[in-house]
Amino acid sequence: MKTETITDADRYPTLTEDGRRMLEFMREHPHAPTFRNQSGNRLNVDDLSRVREFEREAQSAEVGWRPSELPSWLAKFVEQSFAEVPFYRRYGSPPAEFQDLPTICRADLSRDIAQFVPDSTPIDRLINFRTSGTTGHSLLLASHPAVAASYLAFHKRALRRFGIELRHGRGQVGVVLVGFQRKCFTYISVTPAMDESGLAKINLHPADWRDPDDRAKYLDALAAEVYTGDPIAFAELLKLPLATKPRAMLSTSMTLLPAMQQQLQERFGCPVLDLYSMNEAGPVAVADVTAGGHVLLQHRLYVQTLDASGQQVPIGERGEVTLTGGFNFCLPLLRYRTGDYASLRFNGTEPVLVGLEGRPPIRFRNTRGEWLNNIEVTHALQRFAIPQFTLHQDRDGGLLLRLSGAGHEPNHIRNALLELFGSGQRLILEQVDSFDGKVVQYTSDLAGSQP
Amino acid sequence: MQQEGPILESLTRRLAETPEEFLAEPRIGQTGRVHVAAVVADLLRLLNAPPASAPGQFIGNDVRRDRNRLAIALLLCWLLSDDWFRQTKLDAAKVLELLDAQCNELATQVAARKFVTDPDRREELARLALARLGFRPAGETLAQAQDRLTTLNSTERARVMKAARAAEERARQIREALARKAAEESADKFTRE
Repeated sequence: MKTETITDADRYPTLTEDGRRMLEFMREHPHAPTFRNQSGNRLNVDDLSRVREFEREAQSAEVGWRPSELPSWLAKFVEQSFAEVPFYRRYGSPPAEFQDLPTICRADLSRDIAQFVPDSTPIDRLINFRTSGTTGHSLLLASHPAVAASYLAFHKRALRRFGIELRHGRGQVGVVLVGFQRKCFTYISVTPAMDESGLAKINLHPADWRDPDDRAKYLDALAAEVYTGDPIAFAELLKLPLATKPRAMLSTSMTLLPAMQQQLQERFGCPVLDLYSMNEAGPVAVADVTAGGHVLLQHRLYVQTLDASGQQVPIGERGEVTLTGGFNFCLPLLRYRTGDYASLRFNGTEPVLVGLEGRPPIRFRNTRGEWLNNIEVTHALQRFAIPQFTLHQDRDGGLLLRLSGAGHEPNHIRNALLELFGSGQRLILEQVDSFDGKVVQYTSDLAGSQP
Repeated sequence: MQQEGPILESLTRRLAETPEEFLAEPRIGQTGRVHVAAVVADLLRLLNAPPASAPGQFIGNDVRRDRNRLAIALLLCWLLSDDWFRQTKLDAAKVLELLDAQCNELATQVAARKFVTDPDRREELARLALARLGFRPAGETLAQAQDRLTTLNSTERARVMKAARAAEERARQIREALARKAAEESADKFTRE
């Protein structure tokens, strides 16, 4: 069998000498962590023009629609999706009324993502986004380097709302993605659309560093303009004696509680943005208290809030956030139920998601008294085909794993969790026929479980 | 197909001129407007062939699975309410069989609107309806009618099967492409989700 060899020329097709120096600086710094993986922007010259053009479009486009109207691009998008996407083609003909379109959910994407890739999408440069998620269905999504690079356009839009214009460029580090997990995908790269500024994805867990004190030294050496991460990683960042401060922080993946946001803003003296973002659709919205909720970021994403039967709930009532459109041309979404809930209100033509409830962060305590990020539990279990599960930790530290689906190997699942929590961990596995719809996957009675 | 029926063009023209009510979304659960089971019952009464029981198979449960099938059934209801059928004594069981089994089969192959917008599909639906009810187009011999229906049917079936094979092959290639190491390494994003 032929071994696939990936070189830096594949990872950074437009790399210049300055970019190469930036990679060396980040990789070979005396306080650098162990980078466990490799990644790259993978953008060729054509991709780069496409990304720049998209950013110009995203910058000038208006986001929104009138409450009783549909966005002007929507009808054509639906028609094209029916013509080109195998999954939607099976519906038959496009309905005359948008609200008669069937909805899809995470389980549909999880079953076979190939059915959602349009016929016209070239497959030779597909990349994947893997997500373990909180709803129990692990996902493998089709994407493209230009899609990954286009996240930046929406981050810029979100930051501009808070008065921040990104200005990093050649010879500087633009962004550091921080994680705090026992195992984490880490790498360095450069961003061609920002003149090859540096990008590092690091894990603050001490196991990734020669000396835990190196964490602050390395971050100070990078002096990144932006930190992105989840609230659990940011909580760890707060403990470090950093001399430098970013110009902005972007929080994703989990609900950012206001007290945590406040603490971060005070410590770092910069805006801390709470982004509503998901692998399936990229950055969807950013929280803005002056608007009363999360304001939308994408100009070709139609957001509805639906009841259980797929009907739009009245303005102001809570419903499931449901998406149509998006910028991932490998995954056109038609009425995708996200599993998140909010009410939709309008400030003029600007839609606002109010009271968005996404994925609350939960920490679990292992037998050594260490806190574990809930993502680590998902990672530990992702190799098992469990349709849905919940994990609860009681006030004495005991764990209850409830899982649906058949044909599991309980001992393997138990071992995976014991490896994470310690061999002396009390653990009960309970098989259930099914859960009633979306579940709160991770819960805990332990004080301190919510960072 | 032993009996001679109406002129084919009168039926294909009727399909081309299907009114909006028969193109509307079938009611399934909370979505759509037209209750197809009620339309089928009306048709059978119109044909003087009232059903022995309510045609429950035309009440959909799953929008994704049932909407195309019911949309085709609705088109057939429009076609069969033509004057020629109304003046002909039809067998209720055969009409129901046409609406049920034939729609099930067609729904996996063709989007309902094509039976209105595509001349070949209009002809196919008109000929199928006639054939399943025991008729052939006026002015055609049995052999001619059978030959033309087979040609339309087999050509379309071959196209559908070829498309299905191509789609399966492409899906396999996509799954393989996504499993490659290069795809696994992914590409940079500024945030993780």
